[in-house]
Amino acid sequence: MSAAETVTVSIDGREVEVPKGTGLVETALAAGIEIPVFCYEPRLGAPVGACRMCLVEVEGIPKLQAGCTLTATDGMVVKTAQTSKLAADGQNSTLEFILVNHPLDCPVCDKGGECPLQDLTFRWGPPVTRNTFPKRTFEKPIPISPTIALDRERCILCYRCTRFSSDVSEDDQLVAQARGSQSIIATFEDQPYRAPFSGNVIELCPVGALTSTQYRFEARPWEIQDVPTVCGLCPVGCNVEATTREGKVKRIGSRNHPEIDEGWLCDKGRFGFTHLRAGDRVVDPSRRVGVRRSETLSWDAALDEAEAMLRAGGANIVTALSGSETVEQAYALGRLLRQGLGAHCAVMPEDVNPALDAFRLPLSSIRDAKLIVILGDDPIVERAPVVDLWIKAARRAGAEVVESEIGAPDGGVAKARDELGERIRESERAILIWSGPAGNGGATIAGLAAELDLAEKPGSGAFHLPETANGRGVADGWAAAADGDEADPEPIELLIVSGDEAAANPDVRALAEQAERVLAISMFRSPVAGWADLVLPGTSYLERDGTYVNLEGRLQRLRRAVIPPCPDELAWIAKLAERFDVDLSPHSPQVFAELSERCYGGIDYSAIGEVAELPERAAAVEVPPAPKAPKRERGKGLRLVSYRPLFSGPAVERVPELQFQRPGSEIELSADDAKKIGAKAGSTVQVISNGTSVALHARVNKQLVKGVARIAAEHAQGLGTHVEVST
Amino acid sequence: MADTMQLVLAGADERDLTKLGEYKAVGGYATLEKARGMSREAVIEEISSATLRGRGGAGFPMGRKLSLVQPPEAAGKPTYVVANADESEPGSFKDREIMSRVPHRFIEGCLIAAHAIGSRHVFIYIRGEYLAEYEVLKAAADEARDAGVLGDVALIIHRGAGAYICGEETALLDSLEGKRGQPRPRPPFPPIAGLYGAPTLINNVQTIANVPVIIDLGAAEYSKIGPEASPGTVVYSLSGNVERPGNYELPLGTTLRELIYDVGGGIPNGRQLKAIIPGGSSVPVFTPDQLDTPADFDSIQAAGSFLGSAAIIAVDDRACMVQLALRAEKFYMHESCGKCTPCREGTRWMVSLLDKIESGRAEHADLDLLRNVCDRVEGRSLCALGDFAVWPVRSYIDKYRAEFEAHIDEGGCPYGGGSSIEGVVAPIDQHTHSPVAEVPA
Repeated sequence: MSAAETVTVSIDGREVEVPKGTGLVETALAAGIEIPVFCYEPRLGAPVGACRMCLVEVEGIPKLQAGCTLTATDGMVVKTAQTSKLAADGQNSTLEFILVNHPLDCPVCDKGGECPLQDLTFRWGPPVTRNTFPKRTFEKPIPISPTIALDRERCILCYRCTRFSSDVSEDDQLVAQARGSQSIIATFEDQPYRAPFSGNVIELCPVGALTSTQYRFEARPWEIQDVPTVCGLCPVGCNVEATTREGKVKRIGSRNHPEIDEGWLCDKGRFGFTHLRAGDRVVDPSRRVGVRRSETLSWDAALDEAEAMLRAGGANIVTALSGSETVEQAYALGRLLRQGLGAHCAVMPEDVNPALDAFRLPLSSIRDAKLIVILGDDPIVERAPVVDLWIKAARRAGAEVVESEIGAPDGGVAKARDELGERIRESERAILIWSGPAGNGGATIAGLAAELDLAEKPGSGAFHLPETANGRGVADGWAAAADGDEADPEPIELLIVSGDEAAANPDVRALAEQAERVLAISMFRSPVAGWADLVLPGTSYLERDGTYVNLEGRLQRLRRAVIPPCPDELAWIAKLAERFDVDLSPHSPQVFAELSERCYGGIDYSAIGEVAELPERAAAVEVPPAPKAPKRERGKGLRLVSYRPLFSGPAVERVPELQFQRPGSEIELSADDAKKIGAKAGSTVQVISNGTSVALHARVNKQLVKGVARIAAEHAQGLGTHVEVST
Repeated sequence: MADTMQLVLAGADERDLTKLGEYKAVGGYATLEKARGMSREAVIEEISSATLRGRGGAGFPMGRKLSLVQPPEAAGKPTYVVANADESEPGSFKDREIMSRVPHRFIEGCLIAAHAIGSRHVFIYIRGEYLAEYEVLKAAADEARDAGVLGDVALIIHRGAGAYICGEETALLDSLEGKRGQPRPRPPFPPIAGLYGAPTLINNVQTIANVPVIIDLGAAEYSKIGPEASPGTVVYSLSGNVERPGNYELPLGTTLRELIYDVGGGIPNGRQLKAIIPGGSSVPVFTPDQLDTPADFDSIQAAGSFLGSAAIIAVDDRACMVQLALRAEKFYMHESCGKCTPCREGTRWMVSLLDKIESGRAEHADLDLLRNVCDRVEGRSLCALGDFAVWPVRSYIDKYRAEFEAHIDEGGCPYGGGSSIEGVVAPIDQHTHSPVAEVPA
């Protein structure tokens, strides 16, 4: 590739060379000069030139120009407010006009102290107001959703939020209404802003007009500390910043990793953190006494009890993992159980397969793809939300996105191979995405990618969207701990349930029925109450140091934002390990150093920066032949496909503000089936299976194959593999 | 007396040209045939050398726009013709005359323009309030379509929803695309990236209606009419305090004196002329000593204002200029789209200040502040509406300052109840569709 053509621009007398087409704001930055902006935000698409904060003087043009709408051209001579009186007056007037009706309630505004309007007013604005008229007032604050409050008086109408809603998340819910000085930001008929990415508008707002209801009046910027870490609520691994004050997480913000999240977060990642303070949080170890009661134990007593249980279990221990543990935790548990006791048997949260590493790409490459083929049965946004934004961006850029039918017997692989194979092979930058269960931990999609020769093609590759945040890393850590026979022990003397997701897994519950005793590590009481014999407190991703591996295969650092209300897992696992002569550090850097030798090529803990890099593509490995799909059970009616919604799970259940985001009680039907049943969109239908009957609203989804119905897991409880639907 | 010269409106006094048959009887659509027999380049060349300047207000040569539009083969996209029939400038009512009396000439112009840029789509965006004109235009379009005149061109007439801003070409395009009508930053200009991001020719109704005239007469003949730099005729909308208000098609360059006194019959009721607004309510005002200015693009501009849409408004000596400024500014405040800061906030502030002056509560500092706010809005807004909101007010202050000061010194309007702007502009409540935005007293 030849070097991009460059142009030379003079800004305030400084010459700067930038690639042709670079925005003027960026060009100025390259020259070390700031052109202040409010409405300009390149991530929202083309500039709109609305706020007029960026006015600059351009030689040869008599009027001041909005710098944000200009691109660098050769020989351009620009004067910003630093050197041009006219531009300075322009910026000053913009601020004066903004402030004519701004309430200036900075002392009680959440944005105060981290507010661009405040900062720019101090630097470029008028020192006093010349307005003698009463200011425009609006009702305030208006809760546009349980998580977002709108203050229309503070709003400066930069349209960042509405542009996000229409041009990035494409939910089109936040709009501008009325005209001129009466313009307001609103939702249609004051309906709540209910969309998976709504919270991003809070961060986009350059003033205190859109604020988080969770953060309102909780802290001032000079009393907080932001901890750079990684979200642990889905496999994307968005880079986040946990704002803490006095030992508590107060909010979660984005920390733009341009290859992973581009600074966007889903509402689960942003607002889900209050589960740390859930009412049923386990903070002390406890032991079951009788059927319903439990008693709190001291840590010494708990470790004694745990030791006794482990000794009694010996090799006949099964460990059920959640996929939310850090790599270090999984490794430490593995060392203790596998080396200490020879207990090799584990129930992994999901399949993982290294075959996919030969087709590895950063998520951002989806945006640049020309052809995207999506396979599997789950909606992408429910499984790995930010991936959905990348796909939307690709579509806007002109990519063709082909979604396979939902409910196809093989996830759509055969059809994709037969009908799209040639095109995928011939297309530049073709990307395959598997979204759903099965898929053999990525082996299926890797197999297809290998068949279509995507390994060597730049910009082409494959993604598998796992279910858990760190299923990959947990498998790595467990495997690195020891080699050994993984035969299923019989009988199961002890079942160790690591984490709340495992505790909620029906298969794990079934194992518990068989197990003599159960030791659970859990953040919350309710999921384990009544069936775990010993409960040890668990911690959250925001309370741990360690590493996670995201769906790209990128190793990222979790940093402890707050001290957990209990010792973290590594601390007591190390203590317990001592009793079995296993030498284990309680500190994640040491644990990582040890395991890194075994599974990450010895990379150094400190080398995983705040903005982690994606490893090179691995050499192709033999893709194992897909195991024969389990025989489908036959049944009456429609075959049921259910998926785990984004807004579900132990964390979301404990955040009252997020309940409005949970999926509606819907059943998706194919057009054919809906017609046959006589179900109109939105009408209520009876769904019967296994003697369970639920009433759900029908929705027609043309992607569904005939004979298949899809329901979010939380509305499909108790339903079998097939459902009968009637009006 | 200046003679009317009907080119665009030719034949409409004698026949009902809204009927296809009648229009064809005077040679209608023959020019389209002629143009379709010409190469695209030849049509563009003809319009370019006729120096047809945009009649919507800016006076930009249509030939330049045409030659900027990349043909579909080169652009790899379709091209579009959009006719701006959102005539909303107070004082301007020429397009309704053209659409209701010679709709076919306008449609013929659209089709010739479509041929010139290889477009197969013509969109006419017509002001929502123009229901009668819409119906005439629609009937004409249907008749032309049924007669096969359109050929393979789809003609779509889209009614606006009552927003002055949608007369601004990029706001019009957004509105046409189904979005909120707000201007886009330019560049890119519509000929490069317009409707749906495709190369788009967008012109005013009257400009387009001149196209068949030029193709018919030939550029050489057409250029002989009016001044060299802005040849042709224009339909002057004459209104305000004149004996005979109305639309008059005359060669460009007719003087304001001829327009007001000869064509318009002078000021009624023996009153004196106080002010002339030469291009619709948004342009700087002229005083009576500028009556001999020829009303063409360059002469008016040289004299410090704009011909705009050639809407000439005469104001007699009963008018209080503060009241007139307040009335004008309320219009612009109501019509500001709210996208950019200076226009949105500045118009509201200016209304508050004007109201304070008119009601006699102001101090001299308020007048200076108002004048300064004008300067800080002008040239800094996203589109020209910000400038339009400034020019009347600032020019009234600069030319009639004593009147503003008298309001301050005397604690109220020196005319008392005797002033009147009746006949100059409609009362504000006749303009606004929604309650006027509340402005603090």
